Amino acid sequence: MTDVTLYHWEPNANSGKPMLALMEKGVAFNSHYLDLLSFDQHKPDYLAVNPQGTIPAMTHGHRVLTESTAIMEYVDEAFDGPQLMPTDAQARWRVRWWMKFMDQWLAPSFSMIGWSVFVGPAVRAKDPDVLTAAIERIPLPERRVAWKKAIYGLFSEEEMAESQRRVALGIRMLEQALSEREWLASDNYSLADVNGFNLAYALPLAQPTLSNDELTPNILRWLRAIYARPATKACWAMGRTAMVKRVSILEQPHIGGGNQS
Amino acid sequence: MSTTLYHGEPNGPSLTVLAALFEKSVDAHLVAIDLTKAERHQLAVARQPELAMGVEGEGPVLVVNGEALTDSVFVACYLDDIGHGTALRPADPYERWSMMAWCRQIIERTAPAAAYLGCKAYPPRAFPAALDAIESVDLRARWDAAVAGHSHAEKIADSENKIIQTVAKIEARLNGRDWLMGDFSIADLESYAWLAGMTELVPAAFEAAPRTQAWMDRVKARPAVQKALALASVAAPERCWAPGPEINRWG
Repeated sequence: MTDVTLYHWEPNANSGKPMLALMEKGVAFNSHYLDLLSFDQHKPDYLAVNPQGTIPAMTHGHRVLTESTAIMEYVDEAFDGPQLMPTDAQARWRVRWWMKFMDQWLAPSFSMIGWSVFVGPAVRAKDPDVLTAAIERIPLPERRVAWKKAIYGLFSEEEMAESQRRVALGIRMLEQALSEREWLASDNYSLADVNGFNLAYALPLAQPTLSNDELTPNILRWLRAIYARPATKACWAMGRTAMVKRVSILEQPHIGGGNQS
Repeated sequence: MSTTLYHGEPNGPSLTVLAALFEKSVDAHLVAIDLTKAERHQLAVARQPELAMGVEGEGPVLVVNGEALTDSVFVACYLDDIGHGTALRPADPYERWSMMAWCRQIIERTAPAAAYLGCKAYPPRAFPAALDAIESVDLRARWDAAVAGHSHAEKIADSENKIIQTVAKIEARLNGRDWLMGDFSIADLESYAWLAGMTELVPAAFEAAPRTQAWMDRVKARPAVQKALALASVAAPERCWAPGPEINRWG
């Protein structure tokens, strides 16, 4: 019996962050899967939980929580289990800085590319009238714009080039940070690593010319170390789509430059 | 331990961090810099990624043992951890979540809007040579637009709307309470610091918001906030603006 329910999509990006944090803490939770590609997150049942229609959301008893990074901090503080925030105040600052940098600067660029190659095409095959109705139901105006762009492939060349610029720079920054420390923001595994893995787990597959064992050895060391953790394995096993199964790239002992497999 | 705070005029993120520092009686060497002239990028620590690539844009920098700490909410959390006296965050994990989620909405929606409107009304005056030191390409683009006085009608309308929505949210939240989270917290400082300059620029947002107006007076009257405002070198620090966070690229 547990009084924790997580409403989530795949172990990927924002959904995967609280999933992995809960599993690292050893917290049992009811998994309520929402199919993003069927717009489950904008249907009345879920809007009753989170009126903004954003994924994920978590309930703990009568408490409702949204905003994936803030949920992770709650999970770390409210439950027993291994500490996922450093004890040193300056290191805690660093964890939060990196999570915000990823959440607000780097991840939107990754996801613009991801949506244009994965989510958009997967959804576009649906009935046009169904799609129009689905877009109309989205509560937040900015999410409506984002979905329209993804569904109809409306990202401009300029926007995509800017996203690719940010991805390339973000990869260099991650590699630099991970060459200075074992983990992204501190000497111990933390929420910054949970957050980062959700962003970068398929990086050597998605960006083979920018991230591989030759160019970014520290990123690859870091990704493999996180993937080796039992919680990560169990979390990614909950994935249903080909998108998250890409994580198996990390089972390869060496990923060379230009790898396309 | 050596701690230095490089801060701008007490407005926006500089106000949040200065007030948090005074609330928590943290001992730090205070150095005023002109954020509106991009002086932050001349600091010895300017090349550290957490300064050069900070999402907040132009804000204060707390240098602790050589490391540049940026982003006002997180610097305030740090000061809350190491300082003295009353906590600036709730103790209960759920209340704490509520504060962090609130601040996230402020830094993602309100801050870009306020900085955009502020820079339009009071353009920063940095010289080209100072701008050349800015490492972040996207921050530099926001600077170029601000210095040239460029703005888009669509972004102005969107920003004004976000200020109106923020005030409406605060007005609802203050029903039956003096502070946003019950007790005074970083959420009050961060929300106030971005809104202080908006009463002049988006007056309509505050017209039917008596609770918000009274709350702003309460925040401003706090000794720590008064002490921060006393550091101003100009008569109206709420008119000092430099480029802030970018407006969400997705829509």
